[in-house]
Amino acid sequence: MFVARHIAADHKDLIHDVSFDFHGRRMATCSSDQSVKVWDKSESGDWHCTASWKTHSGSVWRVTWAHPEFGQVLASCSFDRTAAVWEEIVGESNDKLRGQSHWVKRTTLVDSRTSVTDVKFAPKHMGLMLATCSADGIVRIYEAPDVMNLSQWSLQHEISCKLSCSCISWNPSSSRAHSPMIAVGSDDSSPNAMAKVQIFEYSENTRKYAKAETLMTVTDPVHDIAFAPNLGRSFHILAVATKDVRIFTLKPVRKELTSSGGPTKFEIHIVAQFDNHNSQVWRVSWNITGTVLASSGDDGCVRLWKANYMDNWKCTGILKGNGSPVNGNSQQGNSNPSLGSNIPNLQNSLNGSSSGRKHS
Amino acid sequence: AMEKMSRVTTALGGSALTGRTMHCHLDAPANAISVCRDAAQVVVAGRSIFKIYAIEDEQFVEKLNLRVGRKPSLNLSCADVVWHQMDENLLATAATNGVVVTWNLGRPSRNKQDQLFTEHKRTVNKVCFHPTEAHVLLSGSQDGFMKCFDLRRKDSVSTFSGEAPEAGRADGEVLWVCHRPPDVFPESTKKVGLEVSTPPSRPPRLGRRQACDSSPQSLQGLPPWLLSLLEPLTFSPHGPPPAGQSESVRDVQFSIRDYFTFASTFENGNVQLWDIRRPDRCERMFTAHNGPVFCCDWHPEDRGWLATGGRDKMVKVWDMTTHRAKEVHCVQTIASVARVKWRPECRHHLATCSMMVDHNIYVWDVRRPFVPAAMFEEHRDVTTGIAWRHPHDPSFLLSGSKDSTLCQHLFRDASQPVERANPEGLCYGLFGDLAFAAKESLVATESGRKPYAGDRRHPIFFKRKLDPAEPFVGLASSALSVFEIEPGSGSMSWFVDTAERYALAGRPLAELCDHNAKVARELGRNQVAQTWTMLRIIYCSPGLASATSLNHSVGKGSSCGVPLMNSFNLKDMAPGLGSETRLDRSKGDTRSDTVLLDSSATLITNEDNEETEGSDVPADYLLGDVEGEEEELYLLDPEHAHPEEPEYVLPQEAFPLRHEIVDTPPGPEHLQDKADSPHVSGSEADAASLAPVDSSFSLISIPHALYDTRLPPDFFSALVCDMLRFYAEQGDVQMAVSVLIVLGERVRKDIDEQTQEHWYASYIDLLQRFCLWNVSNQVVKLSTSRAISCLNQASTTLHVNCSHCKRPMSSRGWVCDRCHRCASMCAVCHHVVKGLFVWCQGCSHGGHLQHIMKWLEGSSHCPAGCGHLCEYS
Repeated sequence: MFVARHIAADHKDLIHDVSFDFHGRRMATCSSDQSVKVWDKSESGDWHCTASWKTHSGSVWRVTWAHPEFGQVLASCSFDRTAAVWEEIVGESNDKLRGQSHWVKRTTLVDSRTSVTDVKFAPKHMGLMLATCSADGIVRIYEAPDVMNLSQWSLQHEISCKLSCSCISWNPSSSRAHSPMIAVGSDDSSPNAMAKVQIFEYSENTRKYAKAETLMTVTDPVHDIAFAPNLGRSFHILAVATKDVRIFTLKPVRKELTSSGGPTKFEIHIVAQFDNHNSQVWRVSWNITGTVLASSGDDGCVRLWKANYMDNWKCTGILKGNGSPVNGNSQQGNSNPSLGSNIPNLQNSLNGSSSGRKHS
Repeated sequence: AMEKMSRVTTALGGSALTGRTMHCHLDAPANAISVCRDAAQVVVAGRSIFKIYAIEDEQFVEKLNLRVGRKPSLNLSCADVVWHQMDENLLATAATNGVVVTWNLGRPSRNKQDQLFTEHKRTVNKVCFHPTEAHVLLSGSQDGFMKCFDLRRKDSVSTFSGEAPEAGRADGEVLWVCHRPPDVFPESTKKVGLEVSTPPSRPPRLGRRQACDSSPQSLQGLPPWLLSLLEPLTFSPHGPPPAGQSESVRDVQFSIRDYFTFASTFENGNVQLWDIRRPDRCERMFTAHNGPVFCCDWHPEDRGWLATGGRDKMVKVWDMTTHRAKEVHCVQTIASVARVKWRPECRHHLATCSMMVDHNIYVWDVRRPFVPAAMFEEHRDVTTGIAWRHPHDPSFLLSGSKDSTLCQHLFRDASQPVERANPEGLCYGLFGDLAFAAKESLVATESGRKPYAGDRRHPIFFKRKLDPAEPFVGLASSALSVFEIEPGSGSMSWFVDTAERYALAGRPLAELCDHNAKVARELGRNQVAQTWTMLRIIYCSPGLASATSLNHSVGKGSSCGVPLMNSFNLKDMAPGLGSETRLDRSKGDTRSDTVLLDSSATLITNEDNEETEGSDVPADYLLGDVEGEEEELYLLDPEHAHPEEPEYVLPQEAFPLRHEIVDTPPGPEHLQDKADSPHVSGSEADAASLAPVDSSFSLISIPHALYDTRLPPDFFSALVCDMLRFYAEQGDVQMAVSVLIVLGERVRKDIDEQTQEHWYASYIDLLQRFCLWNVSNQVVKLSTSRAISCLNQASTTLHVNCSHCKRPMSSRGWVCDRCHRCASMCAVCHHVVKGLFVWCQGCSHGGHLQHIMKWLEGSSHCPAGCGHLCEYS
């Protein structure tokens, strides 16, 4: 079961993103009030705001942590058409005493001419790289060639998506068998029903990103997109937040079978589609093993989704934004999402009630 | 005059404006536009354009070109244009050469130029007619002067100088001003005891401080975050401006309600309020912005409100009725603000455009200062002029741009960033916690639930219209909460426990398997426990024991085909299995066992299929088909898989695993259940009672003779590999890697290097997330994948000083080049330290960890006697 801990965020406008760091002990929030706040978890489990500063001159859409190997580094992106990289400075004793930390801007990425809607650090094995996407439909990939110098970022790639972009997700797989890959979602709401999720893959041969796949079935505006942590799987799992929650698997077709040189081909299957939010779905987020998906929608609820052994995805929990349990249509409403089962699929072969009983 | 004003109003009441969003191409970039009071014509002026267009329903129609004559005159290079709001024939332009020109459209000749005032020395930035007085024109220029003209006279009536007396300000004095809007100040501000003027009328002044040098010494004691916000106001640190040279005037605007009053804005950030009868000095002056104030606009209804926009990207609304100008609103835009215009009939709305970078026009509700209420994105270059088409119609906005277009924007066609903004944030934490931020209205009540009605932003009918009359719902805010998962109920703590407690090497395989099975069982992970047990059985039958005691030596014996001793000493095995199953059963939790049984059964079956090719094993003995893992669960045939077949005699090639299945004790009824339904419905108690644990013993005690055949461990490796892949695909890379390490060579060759590397990397990444550095290091060490094991050898450089001579040591060990002594002497016991050596980075002295710790309990001084107060982290 979950216990809701409310945090007085004290943002002056909507919060658009929350993000845990690599170790899950820090949290960053960003808001339309143009600020970013960093929260640190105390021994007692309370979250304390240890930094709050104005980051942009427009709504801050997204905030994301770099791998700690690169330092305590955040990236933010904003309506003001920029993305920025921030680093925490240690040793300011004045701040330390008051439990505040100090963040300095290391760079501003100003290439976009429209609102920068998402920013994501690439998986660590790719080095210190950053992808942004913007409302003008361009995904930009930056690299800091010297990881010690966060002020120097060079624009490596510009990928045109033709559609206003709303979200991106790196494929986290570190396998050499998987080329760097990025999925892009679009919230373009123009009536023409174009596919709203595109997947681009890096080719060693051309040293460029080329479109590998388009999810033709997703034609409604996409608000969020997330690859599941890969953890040694041979295939990829992609969650899409659109008018409903959708989960796709992408199995790479073996290279030998495809014409060499071209982008990898994938067998794409939609393995789940849920409209339980009954409205727009705004966010999707995976647990670290990629076995449970959380989604949130206009209904103000967080729903947890998990596959059973048959690869049947089911709702395993509903959390109301204000912490109150939902006694709604779903009998599993109060059941325990049992995230910890080592083999969730098999455990789920038991019906929901028994797994609920086991833990209660 | 008032009569005329009211006529305009009623005119609108009679016939509402019609039209659509449209644009037309101009011959040249526009610098400014102005609308005729009839709302049917607009004048566009620029460096090389000066035209009047009629605004028709479907298009703009060029009506008059005011640039006449062959020689283009500099007088026609317009920086600004204004149409008189009382006289449809009267216009004024401000020229870049400093000339102010008036135009009379009533003139019969082609040239409509009326009067020419050549009094300013530099570009005139702004001209402004008096709202009610037909003959009064005001101009503001780059030369720092404002001039008031009576159009009935040839010269200006009065001149106002921007250089105002700055009383009470000494040379070299710096005023430190915080430019952050006060409402963003954290609560802590008050605790620090700073003077933040409330209500937030203006940048909080922190007091004047003598600053002989520019170092903010006098500001010592202020918190750094605040210091970083402070900037010295630049008006006088280098002495007053030279006499006669005033700050450039960027805008002048007559007050709409106060007959004698006008406001002017300056490049130095100041705003002045003047009485038109008192040119000697301004009524009031205050610093409104950091950097130039490009524009201002009086509120059409609120007589006291003045909006100003500056290069500092802010729009501020000032209440001028109070004794001191009070900042009542502050809007943060994304670019410098070039123009600001209050929206008619909407008390809190104003439109802005920028002169740099940003081409869009925004309409803001000043009460929601961070997100524009509407946005017009038509222009491809900066917007230079904006004008509401009619002073009482909020829906028509006209704009001119450097992209040489003139646009009419309809409010209903504007994009609404507010609607597009994502109202929620969601993130999964490490242990299964969830952070969730949502717009309060979504989570507060059931009213948050709204049915899905197509995309919220489209089609247009669904779009919430920005109704001017709609009451403001207040600032949007979000509720932030973290849903913490209760320990044990599915948090990731199992992962941490498992990682810490597993034994991966250093013991015989059987022990490792047993240990790990025990760990898994204690954590309630029965399937994993069973898997370990199975592995032990597969690889550690007694005959193999000697060969398997260490990880890496197994392959040989078997591959050479050395006949195996009879391999199943089942009595050795049984107790462990028996007790284990009993334990499980006593917990009434056999389900995952069962599942494991099934899957392992499948594995075995797989193997059977391969190995028994051509043999005479009846197909019935196969426990199921091998098509897919899910299928197998149900294909398991309880009849044939019946474990208690007493006279079970194997053919020559033994398949001991088939019997091991039997080790796991489910009774036939239980199997029946499984076969019937994927949603196991049989009660656990039943299953337990019907499957006596002892049965497994009897089964296992198959005569040894049956097994005196060769049993290459390789035999199973394909199955084990499948199993590892299965675990990896299920997200349990921990199991895959642990087994891989424990089994070592036995399976390694059957899994391609790339996959192994992938598993290792993924597991190590997970371990590091949980800060399990020791486990992570152990895994790196035990891995045979080169790409992984080199992770440990990545260069870590320690820079060390010699503890004697204090000079940096070269890289050759612990003997100092200069003083030829060993640097790693323990300062406490004076012996050379081998192993863990700790030292103080301040004085380079150190020693055995234990010794130093003990020493520091008694004294914080360096044990070497150097007098340093040592610091250890």
